[in-house]
Amino acid sequence: MRRTLIIVALLLLPSACYSGPDPGRNPSGGGPAGLSGAPAQSFEVRRTDGSPDSLARHRGQVVLVNLWATWCPPCREEMPALQQFAKQNAGKVTVLGIDQGESAEVAAAFARSRGVTFPVLVDEKQQYGRTYAAVGLPTTVIVGRDGHVVRGIDGPLTLAQMRDAVAPALARK
Amino acid sequence: MSARVAALAVAVLAIALVLAQDLQPRTGLYHTWQYALALTIALVVVLAYANGARRGTDGPVGKRLAWAMAGAALVAGAGLGSGLLGPDTATVIGTPGTVNPIPALGAAAFFAPADAAAIERGSGAVTLRRRQAGDVALGGTARRVLGESLVYLEPRPAAYVEAFDERGAHLTVTQPTNSSFLSPVLLFRERQRIGALSVPLDTFAAPARKRVVRALYFTPDGLAQFRHAAGPLDRARPALVVTVADDAGRQLGITLVPSGGEAIVAGIRIRATLGSYPALAIAAAPPTWALVGGIGLFGLGVVWAGLALRAARAAALNESAASAS
Repeated sequence: MRRTLIIVALLLLPSACYSGPDPGRNPSGGGPAGLSGAPAQSFEVRRTDGSPDSLARHRGQVVLVNLWATWCPPCREEMPALQQFAKQNAGKVTVLGIDQGESAEVAAAFARSRGVTFPVLVDEKQQYGRTYAAVGLPTTVIVGRDGHVVRGIDGPLTLAQMRDAVAPALARK
Repeated sequence: MSARVAALAVAVLAIALVLAQDLQPRTGLYHTWQYALALTIALVVVLAYANGARRGTDGPVGKRLAWAMAGAALVAGAGLGSGLLGPDTATVIGTPGTVNPIPALGAAAFFAPADAAAIERGSGAVTLRRRQAGDVALGGTARRVLGESLVYLEPRPAAYVEAFDERGAHLTVTQPTNSSFLSPVLLFRERQRIGALSVPLDTFAAPARKRVVRALYFTPDGLAQFRHAAGPLDRARPALVVTVADDAGRQLGITLVPSGGEAIVAGIRIRATLGSYPALAIAAAPPTWALVGGIGLFGLGVVWAGLALRAARAAALNESAASAS
């Protein structure tokens, strides 16, 4: 009888340890900051001039990807610094501006009006934006020569912040 | 009722309870204390019977039946363990083309990219990438047991939306209330009650035009019950009922966008393709080896005990026939 009681006690113990369900849990990660070290995804899109381009075509270079749109005030404010950065770092860093969801004409007209000379890609399907976990615009992604994301940054950057952001990628051989 | 019959009934019930985890994995029942207590009581009953039977309290039939009880105990123990230690029931709704960490599985779920055609076909897939283990590709109705977890896909309503201005220029679509800010795929995480109907609801914006759009997903059946939809409609296709507001919340219009079609409302043209995209469902599941082994042992034990019972009855009949003659 005593043995049976011990067995009962041991078996009842687990029922006190249950944990309730958590059906609403969704463990999805958030933001571009979590992308560091991940392979940089690439999608074939077109530049504003109609020529095909993609991130993969720039493999072997340090690339600063800027996701933006013409309706986005911080993107518009950031654009002069981005243009200046592209000019100052020509040959060291490739700057790709990737317009999210707008037509080529709209993106081209905006780029012309701001004197943008770096390549502007038009991603009507917003593939880069969702893949790089953009939680807002602008979003900047630094891709190393090995094709992996070095850093993802949400929000506009100053010229100095752009320099700091690419420094680790430039330091890697 | 004899102890043997009662123990057998409890064993069958315990096995059925655990098998239900495989057949109806989405129920949260398996993580409740009531479920744990039921299996614990079943374990006590079958082990108590097996213990007595092993010592000969139920004769040669009981000794053989003790093996069946051991099998039932293995199944009940596995069910109890997976209920207590297995992952909570969860549904991971991932945006196409994104990666979601799944700590419960020690894996990352890669939700395959999906364009409008893939949404319409409902052909989305999910790949689980595990550390130091191979990838697990899930598609269609495939189910896989990984450790103490059962993983499978659940199709959910989805819509691929595009927006254009009056001149036909493509507009950025954003989902400000969603972690996938720039996805044109609506996954309808919420629902809205309209009369007796519960309709999938999602929201997107066209910030270039300062428009916020609430989209309700109607199946053809649901559409037939919705008065607003009265009119010339393709009743074979699902549709979105969209209400458009400006960024100050002022309502500007309402219209219906059939799947694969377009509609103009409040200065924007909306194109929508409706279908489905899978969510990743995770549920606790007992290990397959324990289920197969336990049920096998139970079955063999019952058959073996049945043979002993038949032999005993035949012997008893012969004995009574002999004594009658």
